Amino acid sequence: MKCSIRALPRECAPAGRTEGSLRKIRRWVARIALHLALGSASLIMLVPYLWALTASVKSRAEIFTPTPQWWPRAWQWSNYVDVFRYAPFEIYFLNTLIVVLGILAVQLITITLAGFAFARLQFRYREALFYLFLIQMMLPIHAVIVPNYLTIKSLGLLNTQLAMMLPFWASGYGTFLMRQAFRQIPAELEEAALLDGCTGLRLLWSIMIPQVRPVLLAFSLISVVTHWNDFLWPLIVTDTPRVRTLTIGLAMFVQQESGADWTLLMAATVMVTAPLLVAFLFLQRRFVESFMYAGLR
Amino acid sequence: MAHSRASWRGQRGAQAFLYLLPSLLFLAIFTYWPMLRAIAMSLLEWNLSRPEPVFAGLRNYATLLADPVFHLVLRNTAMLAAVAIPISIALGLVLAILLNEPLGFLRGVYRAAVFYPTMIPMAAAAMLWVWLFNPSIGLVNYYLGKLGLPRVEWLYDMTWALPAVMISWIWKNVGYLTILYLAGLQAVPTELLEAASVEGAGFWQRVRYVTLPLLGPTTVFVVVVSLINSFQVFDAVHIMTQGGPADRSNVLVYFLYQQAFRFWDIGVASALTALFVAGLLVFVVFVVGQMERGVFYEV
Repeated sequence: MKCSIRALPRECAPAGRTEGSLRKIRRWVARIALHLALGSASLIMLVPYLWALTASVKSRAEIFTPTPQWWPRAWQWSNYVDVFRYAPFEIYFLNTLIVVLGILAVQLITITLAGFAFARLQFRYREALFYLFLIQMMLPIHAVIVPNYLTIKSLGLLNTQLAMMLPFWASGYGTFLMRQAFRQIPAELEEAALLDGCTGLRLLWSIMIPQVRPVLLAFSLISVVTHWNDFLWPLIVTDTPRVRTLTIGLAMFVQQESGADWTLLMAATVMVTAPLLVAFLFLQRRFVESFMYAGLR
Repeated sequence: MAHSRASWRGQRGAQAFLYLLPSLLFLAIFTYWPMLRAIAMSLLEWNLSRPEPVFAGLRNYATLLADPVFHLVLRNTAMLAAVAIPISIALGLVLAILLNEPLGFLRGVYRAAVFYPTMIPMAAAAMLWVWLFNPSIGLVNYYLGKLGLPRVEWLYDMTWALPAVMISWIWKNVGYLTILYLAGLQAVPTELLEAASVEGAGFWQRVRYVTLPLLGPTTVFVVVVSLINSFQVFDAVHIMTQGGPADRSNVLVYFLYQQAFRFWDIGVASALTALFVAGLLVFVVFVVGQMERGVFYEV
């Protein structure tokens, strides 16, 4: 309160000049300190990846210098080609793409239907059923890998892309997001559509889904990132390169190379991470907003 | 009239059931059934020396509880949560508060630099850190030496293997927590902050008395998400240390993986699964209870 009274005349009176510029200086110092803090934090976060990037284009000899060489003397892009000679990363990439998109396609159907039912339909045991869905949201698949492995084995699905997708086709989390989204739609919209004789799946498809498109997009981005990064489940249900995904391929490559050739290991690591990082660079706002939105719910 | 409404209701019930059916089918096969099956299998002796399962009562639980490695694993998992979560939450909170200040075009750059590890698979992130923690040519030891600090064997060291895993985990997760806090900060009404400024509150006072109290619900959410994540650490351990040296960096899910897929002891692995699921369910019921009491989502 004291300050608010003093602040006014200071702004107006020319006598207050020196004090005003002092304040300006303090504000500049604060701003510089802020940028220094965030700049060094950003640098620390970037170092691990940049260090891998330089290693991935170095020659084998240049790795073992006593002081770190941040700028390679000769850019050896052939490391990236060599990686393919030791492991079929193109197949891993294709498998990852199939698994990630296969999971997403079915998820979009199951979560839209279930989310709509929980949000807009009246039925018995609605609350209880919703809790059943929430359990899956909190209970990670990692906890039940052993029985799930046996299920996949008895279905004869070991070493298939289907095995890597099946457990994720229902998503408690996605259902939760969609339920929230469908709840926001005003009832008048639905009633008007019903009066026009638009019911059932047609109502869902042509009236409701256009309203929740941003949420579907947010969920899609999160799902793609999550399953691109899956590791444990694909690791245990596959044991041939033919069906393996990028993350597992990378882990196998590490074991096979047993840490001997760092240039190739880093080239492989960069390749595995590049697709999502490039997408992120171009769609930064979209990604960040999706993760923000989904985190808020 | 009443009749037609009732049949319309019945129809809607059928419609709801049909809409839930696909989800329920997959949930039943891959979430509910495995939970029950784990309990049933935990009562069997089923391992390499006994490929045909026989009833064993609670012997698997006894084996597990008597195993000193299991105790070490529990301690490591708890340690990881107790150390890595507070550090990553503190870092995420500070970064979010700083990123929420006016920064001009650089905000996007800083935000991308902090958030990009979220896009990287944990397995690949672990690879980056194996390279950084290399005892002889790693960047970490080089700069430690520059600072006059002792060099450490990191992944090969009994004391430092688990902290090394934690560091990679924090690096990978801090950006996500920052984004969650940024979302929380955007929900803080600007009028409140402006009112505080007019009253003469400085930056620190605004943070302490306005921002932090309003971030309470976000923090509860962040803690729950982080805890659930920390129980599931596997990729980093598998790539960086394989649980070693001498199980000093072995954690719950990696131990489960070893029991089932290295030692092929399905009985003991199922007992572990049953305990794990029971623990998680207790945790979830507790959290949901808190949610219903309205601790969450007040803003």
